Amino acid sequence: MRRIGLHLGLLFACAVILVPLLWVVRTSLLPEHLSYSPELMPAVTLDNYVALFTSTRYGQSYLNSLIVAFGSVVVALPFAAMTGYAFARFKTSGRAGRFAVLATQMLPPVAIVLPAFALLRTVGLTNSLTGLIIVYAAVNLPFLIWILMGFFEGIPVDLEWAAQTDGATAWGAFWRIVLPVSLPGIAAAGVLGFILTWNEFLFALVLSGPQTATVPVALAALQTSNGVQIAKVSAGVVLAVLPLVIASRFIQRFIVQGLTFGSVK
Amino acid sequence: MSSIELDHVSKLYANGAYGVRDVDLSIGEGEFVIFLGPSGCGKSTTLRMIAGLEGITSGDLRIGGRSVNNVPPRDRNIAVVFQSYALYPHMSVRDNMGFGLKMRGVARPLIEEKIREAAGLLGLTPYLDRKPAALSGGQRQRVALGRAIVRDPVAFLLDEPLSNLDAQLRAEMRLELVKLHRRLGRTIVHVTHDQVEAMTMGDRICIMREGRMIQVGKPLEVYADPVDTFVARFLATPPMNLLPARLEGRGDGLVVSGDGFTVEVPPMHRAAYAGLAGREVIFGLRPEDLHEAPQPGFSPIEVSVVAMEALGVENILVGQIGTGDKPLELSARLSRHFTAPVGARVPLYLDPRPMHLFDPETTRAFPRPSLRLVTN
Repeated sequence: MRRIGLHLGLLFACAVILVPLLWVVRTSLLPEHLSYSPELMPAVTLDNYVALFTSTRYGQSYLNSLIVAFGSVVVALPFAAMTGYAFARFKTSGRAGRFAVLATQMLPPVAIVLPAFALLRTVGLTNSLTGLIIVYAAVNLPFLIWILMGFFEGIPVDLEWAAQTDGATAWGAFWRIVLPVSLPGIAAAGVLGFILTWNEFLFALVLSGPQTATVPVALAALQTSNGVQIAKVSAGVVLAVLPLVIASRFIQRFIVQGLTFGSVK
Repeated sequence: MSSIELDHVSKLYANGAYGVRDVDLSIGEGEFVIFLGPSGCGKSTTLRMIAGLEGITSGDLRIGGRSVNNVPPRDRNIAVVFQSYALYPHMSVRDNMGFGLKMRGVARPLIEEKIREAAGLLGLTPYLDRKPAALSGGQRQRVALGRAIVRDPVAFLLDEPLSNLDAQLRAEMRLELVKLHRRLGRTIVHVTHDQVEAMTMGDRICIMREGRMIQVGKPLEVYADPVDTFVARFLATPPMNLLPARLEGRGDGLVVSGDGFTVEVPPMHRAAYAGLAGREVIFGLRPEDLHEAPQPGFSPIEVSVVAMEALGVENILVGQIGTGDKPLELSARLSRHFTAPVGARVPLYLDPRPMHLFDPETTRAFPRPSLRLVTN
């Protein structure tokens, strides 16, 4: 009886999460005039997807999002790895330093976005993907540093000591031992950084222009003065969720697999 | 050229606490030295200082006569086997063992040859292509050793390498390490908190406590002549019995007496202890010096049995003596044929010749002639 109750509860929870998503998928596959139809699946068409790419700049935005999310991770990860490692292994700047790194995360994004805009305008990087990449790398850095710090703290210092007595320099021990061992953590941090950037709206709205809009901005642009183009929005959302589904699969595999197993004990 | 000298070496932490205090020790070439002590006594820190993994606050550390205080670990040519083994998890056994040589730029064929040699020596040949995760604890232990051996270092530093193994494997590896030492002839510093390892493996034991090296000597010397009550209790299980007592002159002899026992000081120690007459002392006697049968010179003592531990080869009697409200506890190693019910009062006979007297205030042993010559 308790098991049945439990399963009913779980089913309900699944429904709460899945039904809106499935409804979006459904709407994206219906002709626009049937979007609000009470029937479950009165017709199936790919017109919305086609229209999204032909009558709007969604394709461009999608590409922008991929470039910006990927670029910001590539820029931020090396810094995050080095800083996280320093925080984990050395007494660099102590606890105060670790929390100071989080300071930007404690401010509401609105408080940062205007100074960021002013800065980018000075160097002429507003309305550019480069500007977005730099800003996202900076905004995500504290978060990535903390994730990687946790990973590096989990790597036994004995491993580095062994490498050093084996003839490696401190840098060599980091490069040849710590980095390969923490690869799953770094990959996970990278995927999380990618997701954060992919979903971000406010910075993208303020700092990008029509040419450089990212997916969230492009989706918002479908809410026009003539009403919400719900069919196209649905199609856009389905496509926007796709990378996240792939990423979460990837991240799960990496996080579950503990690579340090077998090195100690 | 693999002697290791610690010249008044200290390690002071940033919070003002000493990790290691004024350790003065000279380890000869090819010597097998044991650092023994309870956890947190500074033995592993000392080891890491020798390896170069910890800085030295004051004093001088010399390896092969050369001061290495500021030499990084990679240039000391010392191999460390860690308690955790610290195998590189992303590398095969072969690459783990070859890493040190690769770092030193040794040619690949030579590395292969050295790995083959060491793997043969340690019985690891079938496992060379496995990852550490696919090995048992004992095999990982061997890989860690192999990684040290292939490098042909001037000295091996072993940081509790056997403590993660089960009892049987530990006994085997103990023997293997001793054999290995004989074969390689290299200096070995072995850190442990296991008394059996300390007694059986090394040429010398260095007992550490609270960062200080309180006694250094051959295992049997340290066992026979502990410098204080800590060493007396630490080196064996069950530990030495320590009983509060008083030393009195009686006629031309000396008598140690406490609650429930009176022991005549044997003639061989009279001269050494004569000056202590009238003082409070701690009387120390190892459990194996209590016997179930009388012999000339033995002192009788009545013990009420608290517990009997039958170990097969022998029986350990835990008992109480004395009439006060705080009876004194002592243990005796007796023959496996001796049994007594709990609560019974049994007569035992103590052999006073190996007795020790300690100062109750400083816990230091009062000096007396060594007994090793007598008991041999």
